Formats: sequence, C-alpha cells, structure tokens
Amino acid sequence: MGCGVTKSSEFCSKKDEKDVPLIAVPAMRAAVLIQRWYRQYVARMEMRRRYTWNIFQSMEYAGEQDQIKLYNFLGYLVDNFTPSSTERNLISHIFRENEVCRDVEWERYFSYENIDVPDIYSGPRLTFPLSVSQVADLVEAFKNKQQLHSRYVLQLLLDTWKLLRILPNINRVSTCQSKEITICGDLHGQLEDLLLIFYKNGMPSLDTPYVFNGDFVDRGKDSIEILLILFAFLLVYPGDVHLNRGNHEDHIINLRYGFTKEVLGKYKLHGKRILKLLQKIFSWLPLATVIDQRVLIVHGGISDTTDLALITRIDRHKYVSALRPPKKKTTLSGGQSSMDSEFDNDSISNMSMQNKRRASVTFSKTFGPRDSFQRRSLQDFSGIVNRTVEEEQEVRRRQGAFLQTGYSCSHRDLKPSFPSESDSDSTDAPDVSNEEWKQILDLLWSDPMSQDGCFPNELRGGGCYWGPNVTEEFLNRHNLQLIIRSHECKQEGYEFCHNRKVLTLFSASNYYEVGSNRGAYIRLGPDLVPYLIQYQASDMTRELTLKQSVGRTERSALKALREQLFVHKTDLLRAFKEYDEDNTGLISLNNWAKAVGTVLHLDLPWRMLRSQLVTLTPNNMLDYHSWFKELSIKDPNVERVEQTVLETLYKHRSTLETIFRIVDTDNSGLISFEDFRQTWRLLSAYLKMEISDEAISDLLISIDTNNDGSIDIEEFMEAFRFVDRNRLERGRSIFNPKDMS
Amino acid sequence: MGDAPAEAPAAAPAAGGDFSADQIEDFKEAFGLFDKVGDNQVGYNQVADIMRALGQNPTNGEVKKLLGSPSVEDMANKRMAFDAFLPLLAQQDKVQKGTYDDYVEGLRVFDKEGNGTVLGAELRIVLGTMGEKMKEDEIDALMTGQEDDNGCVNYEAFVKHVMSV
Repeated sequence: MGCGVTKSSEFCSKKDEKDVPLIAVPAMRAAVLIQRWYRQYVARMEMRRRYTWNIFQSMEYAGEQDQIKLYNFLGYLVDNFTPSSTERNLISHIFRENEVCRDVEWERYFSYENIDVPDIYSGPRLTFPLSVSQVADLVEAFKNKQQLHSRYVLQLLLDTWKLLRILPNINRVSTCQSKEITICGDLHGQLEDLLLIFYKNGMPSLDTPYVFNGDFVDRGKDSIEILLILFAFLLVYPGDVHLNRGNHEDHIINLRYGFTKEVLGKYKLHGKRILKLLQKIFSWLPLATVIDQRVLIVHGGISDTTDLALITRIDRHKYVSALRPPKKKTTLSGGQSSMDSEFDNDSISNMSMQNKRRASVTFSKTFGPRDSFQRRSLQDFSGIVNRTVEEEQEVRRRQGAFLQTGYSCSHRDLKPSFPSESDSDSTDAPDVSNEEWKQILDLLWSDPMSQDGCFPNELRGGGCYWGPNVTEEFLNRHNLQLIIRSHECKQEGYEFCHNRKVLTLFSASNYYEVGSNRGAYIRLGPDLVPYLIQYQASDMTRELTLKQSVGRTERSALKALREQLFVHKTDLLRAFKEYDEDNTGLISLNNWAKAVGTVLHLDLPWRMLRSQLVTLTPNNMLDYHSWFKELSIKDPNVERVEQTVLETLYKHRSTLETIFRIVDTDNSGLISFEDFRQTWRLLSAYLKMEISDEAISDLLISIDTNNDGSIDIEEFMEAFRFVDRNRLERGRSIFNPKDMS
Repeated sequence: MGDAPAEAPAAAPAAGGDFSADQIEDFKEAFGLFDKVGDNQVGYNQVADIMRALGQNPTNGEVKKLLGSPSVEDMANKRMAFDAFLPLLAQQDKVQKGTYDDYVEGLRVFDKEGNGTVLGAELRIVLGTMGEKMKEDEIDALMTGQEDDNGCVNYEAFVKHVMSV
C-alpha cells in the first residue's frame, strides 16, 4: 500500500467538514455510505445464520424424541402383546439382542485368533501390546483412507475393554509439572476434525495429555476410525488420555444415528461381533473427569440431584443404554408374585455360576413400571402411565402368561442366560438402580438453561435442563469452580453460560452443513483458565464467502423444514381449517405461523422464514391448498399409497428403521415379507392407525422392486425418502443416519 | 419518542411510525431472535445490529444518539424491551437510505481515469481511515473477489454486489 500513503494524508481529517480540503468531503461521504451498507449486510447475514441455526438445532433435538417413541413401543409390545406362535419368534428376536454367556464363552465369541489376515491386505498389521509408533502409523493409515482389518480391530477392542474395566467412574487428573491438558468435545465420526486438532495441537503423549468428552460416534462417517485412534492412544498412554462417555456411546442410539450402519458396512463379516464388544466397552467408559479437584468435565451436564460421591460408587457398566433402564423387582399385593422373581428363581437355580461373574451386559426386560422415564417423554402413545390397581394386576397376569408361553420358552432355548448381576445386588434396595440410572442420564443428557431451576429435559427425552442457581449450588457443594461440558453444537465451537461457570465445548466443525459452525478445543494449565482454540475443517470453507456459506447452510435447513411440513400435511390441514371457519381456503400469515409452530412442535421464527416457504396473496393471506401442492413431492413408487400412511411412515421412519435393524437379526439387510407384515401390524396397532392387510400388501408390492420376496431395508427406506440422490453425496441429512457411499 | 403502548398491533401506529401491523409482527420476531438471555430484551449494544437486520443502515453514531448517548458501561450492560425499541426503529426509518445511484456517485469520486474502475487499494484505505473506520478483516471480507488482476474494482458491479443481499 505504498502509493496510498500520500493520498491518505490528503483525505484523512479529524476536523469537521469545513476544514477539510474539498476533495475529501465526497470521499468521506462515500466511505460512510459504504460502511453503513456493509454493516447492514453483516447484520442481515447474522440474522439468517441465527435462524438457520435455530432450524437445525430444533429439528435435531426433536428427532431425539424418536428414541423415546421406540422405547415406548418396545414397552407396549411387552405389556400388551400375546404372541401367536409365529409372532413369538419375532418378539424373541427383538429382545434377544443381548445374549449373555460366561466369560469363557465371551472370549471365544470375541476371539480374533482364527481370523486370517490375507496377504493382499495393505493396512496396518498391529502387534500387541501396542507401541507408540504403531499408533502413529495407525493414524497415518486412516489419514490415507485405509481400513483396519477386523482381526486387529477385535484385538484392540479387547485390550481396551480390559483396561476400561479397571478405571474408576470418575477420572481424576492433575496439571502437575506444568502440564497443560487438552480437552475436546463432540467429534461425531468426523475424522477430519480430530486430525486437524492433532495437527494444530500435537497427538496425545506424556507431555500432551488429553480428555475426550464423549460423542465420538454417530452422524459422521468415520466413527470407528475415531474410536480406534482414541482407544489406541488410551492403551499406550493410559495415564494421559481420558475418555468420558457421551449419550451416543449407546448401542440403541447407534442403531438410529448411523454408527451401527457404518460398522456393518465396513466390516461385513465380523461387524456384529465388533458391535457387541463395543456395547460392553461403551458401558465401561468412565462417566466424568475432574481436573485438580476443581474442574468437572462431563458430556451433558448436571441436575439438582447430581452427587459425585454417589456416582463414584455406581457399577457403571450395568447401565448399557439410556433406553433400557435397569429392571425393577416388584411384588404385588394379593400374593401374586411378580414374573421377575419367578423368572429369576428359574435361572438362578440353573446357573449358579452367573452370580460370580460381573456381567457387563444387562439383559433388561422392560417390565414393571417405567413411570419416571415415561413422564419425561413428550408423547406417550401407550397411555400406560396411570393405571388402576385392577388394570395393573391384569397387565401382570398377561405378562406372566406371555413369559410362560412365549418368552421364557425361547429363553431356555438360548445358551445359558442369565440375570444380570443387578439381581444379586438389588434385592434389598430396588430403587437404588433407578436412582443411579437417573444420575447417569443427568450426566450424559442434560442441557443448561438461562433461567433458575431444574426440570426434566422433555425435548431430548432424558436428563434435565438446569439453571445458574443449580450450577452455583453444585459447584459450592463439591468445591469446584468450573463445569466443562459438550452435547450441544455451538456456532463458534464453544459458549460460556451461567456467569462463565459453565463452558460448552463442541469439536465437530461444519456439523449441520459445510460452513455451519466452527469447532473448538481447550488448553487448560495449572491456572485452570480455559484457553480456547477454534478451527474449521474442510478446504471448502476457506473459499466460500460469508454469503455463500450462510446461503448453503440456509438452503439445507429450509429443505429439511419443507420435508417436515410436507410430512405433517394432514395435521396442518386440520389446524388451518380451525382458523378458516368460513372455508375460504385462505388464512392469515399470523395464523399460519401459529398453526405451523404448534403442529410441528418447533419454536422457530416462522414469519421470518415465510419468504422461503410460502407465497402470499397481496393482502398477506395464504392459499393453503395450493401451498400444499407446491410442497408435495412426486415419487412414482408410492403413488398408490395413501397420503396419511405415507406421512405416518415418514414421521416414524427412524423408529421404523431402527426396528427393522433389530428384526433383521442376521444383519443381512433383508427381512421377509412376513416379518414386515407382523412388524407393521404391531406398529399400526401401537400408533392406533388403521391399516388394512390390503394396504400393507400394496405397500410391499410397490417396495419390492426386484420381486424376490424379501425386502431390502435400504430400498424400503428409499421409498419414503424424498427423491434427491444428489443430497446423499454431500453433506448430511437430519433424518437419515449418515449415508455411506 | 412517543409513548409505546404495551399491546402491539392495534395501537401501534402511534409509536410504530409508518409500519403496518404485519411489519411490526416481523420486527418482534426478529427482536426475539437476538434475545439470548430469555428476558424478552436485548442489550443496548445489539440495537444497531437489529436495526440493520431489519433493513435500516444507521451508523453507530446515529444509534448512540437515538439511545440518548449512553455511557460506555450503559452500552455494555443496559437492556431494552421491544416496546422501547420500536419507536427508535421508526425514527431511524425516517433517515434516508442510500440508493444505488448514491453509492455509485460516491465511488465515482475515486475514479481517476473515468473508466468505471477504482483502485482496490485506494478503497481499502478510505474505508479503513475515514468515517466509521472498518477493520482490516471486515474490509477483506467486503473486497473478496472484487478486485481484478490489476487490483481494480469495477464499482458499478461492486455496488450491485453490495446491494444484493
């Protein structure tokens, strides 16, 4: 800018206009004009960014409610279902998931020794115990898109499992010797971000200790690679690498959000074995980390009942999944013993060995009252919550019958099964398990809010919303000064709240869409003042201007929103008609906004979004019939299927998909027509939806495009996806687990 | 500043200037988007940006005047509700915004050779040293992709770009 110097002295002026050389006045005016304009531009971009953010976040959390629906559906099955002989198999399939056997049998099941590694395999060949250079090679291999052979995967996981079992529930770390600790938040399978952090900050080592705060898997496409890297570093630096469990380290969540699919896709032969082992590993992950006894690092957060002393004493591995609380023992008045105890007597006499084992898998049956969990869910389809005593007894009678006829029979067919060790512990205190379970849920699922107080997090379906007063009280009680948590995506990769006593840290950049947000990590030294480093992975973001990056994310969000609107057409129509009593076919913008917000359960700035979603008549009214026509998507495959069926299926598609994955026990990707029919019949009864057998047959015909009598899960789901193959190639969809190409 | 009645649209015209009821609803929604605390208010230091998001383009100095020239502490700490904000917005709305021609004329000042281009470097200096100075990264963001190989900016195209949000 050398030539500019002389000119600037001509133009620059700190006096008022009168003293300035004439030529400078228009220049100044021009400058001010442009500056005004620029600041307006930035503010408008910011606005768009904010509401786009709102859209993504609302839909993400609303989607998590589906987990509750699944849970309730499974509960409904158990409570209300008397299986026919053919249906019995299906149910036993659904609940058979966790076969529990003795240690010896587990070791045989997970054995890697007879897995051969072919010469043609060019990936890393690991020898155990792992060395540091091998881990570096592993990282390099993943950088080059190689895949680790299942033999080594199993071996690595086995060693990890053994190590995790001796770790306490709460990692205690100190910043002695001026070590700075690096803390990372959610990674969600985004290997690029982890590699970027390693590049900027160095890989874990004796001098570079790390804490990883959960949610390593799901959504991104390299979840297994991230796990393998983290576990490998854990094995070679057990004192310097600390892992916290996140709410996504949970096999049922993984069914829906893509991790299960990823593993089964990458490891066709041994995927199921790997997933089983991971189930155990996840349940053995520590729940939190405390630094210098002053800073708590936990994935979700706290509640007003969180008690670290209690948490230290829990057997954390009993809590395998957020969606399967520990079973409760109950006895009823009137001498009718609960089916639980009946069941246990049987199995206890069969397998005395079981009690010695510290089983790490809980075969939980969702019998018994699930009140506390159900109260958290937004919708309770089965309406089971408030039962009279008579109804309660009737249900238990039926449950008993169920057990005797179908369930326990099929159970005896299994290899030695057995009650989880929670039985041996919980005879005296049946409520202890539920309290412990709540403690864990709160740690892994809670979100902070700006108002004082604490109440159940109905949006997520688990954990609590906790306020600044709860933080204050908690920190005082435990003599802590800061809570570092993750669990929520933040635009800048981090965000302080509660008077800077709570810090949210999120390490998956571009989470919703390219350019949507930065990631961040923390360096924490002995002064315990968090030093934040931000980044954004992906070469593409650097080239996008602000406008392009906002526009891209916005388009993605709006597309997802439009899908939601389409899917709720029937409910929306009903809501609109309530505002349109004279049946003019028109409603006001205000009423449109109100209706849409209520039906979709999404608290978004609908008025602001209207230019993208609707076209209004000159006097600001909306012709809703033609609006629906604009929204509707044509898909030749499902023309014959009724609109309401289509909508319902799409609305519950993630639940459906998860159920199919459960039903497809051999993970072949195929289920029979009959299985499909039965499942759908159950689901429709549960959803109180009328669907005739004929309608199911029609559905089957339109779906089974190759006429081979079985249904590919992928193709089934395709039928209800909006036809846009391009979307699958880039970016993620809120509704589908990350697609694997 | 007139008294702002508590209820919105019907009584709005008095405080809401020439805005229609629908517009005021829009403003309210946008206002809510900027409230990060949950008390239905926004900070004094956000008022300028909210106005800009709503189609105004005040200078920071103008906003300060509208707010009654608050102290530095007040700017950082004080908050205001929508009913106090709306009349300020109405007042700002009366200020004339620049048109396409105004911008082009403004830039023509720097067009030494009268060929429709200005030196990017010159523009940068002006924006960084005059008026309500812009920071270097702001200027960079603005100028990205606008300069040709000789470092010149076609200013009519530039203004079109600038106005096409």
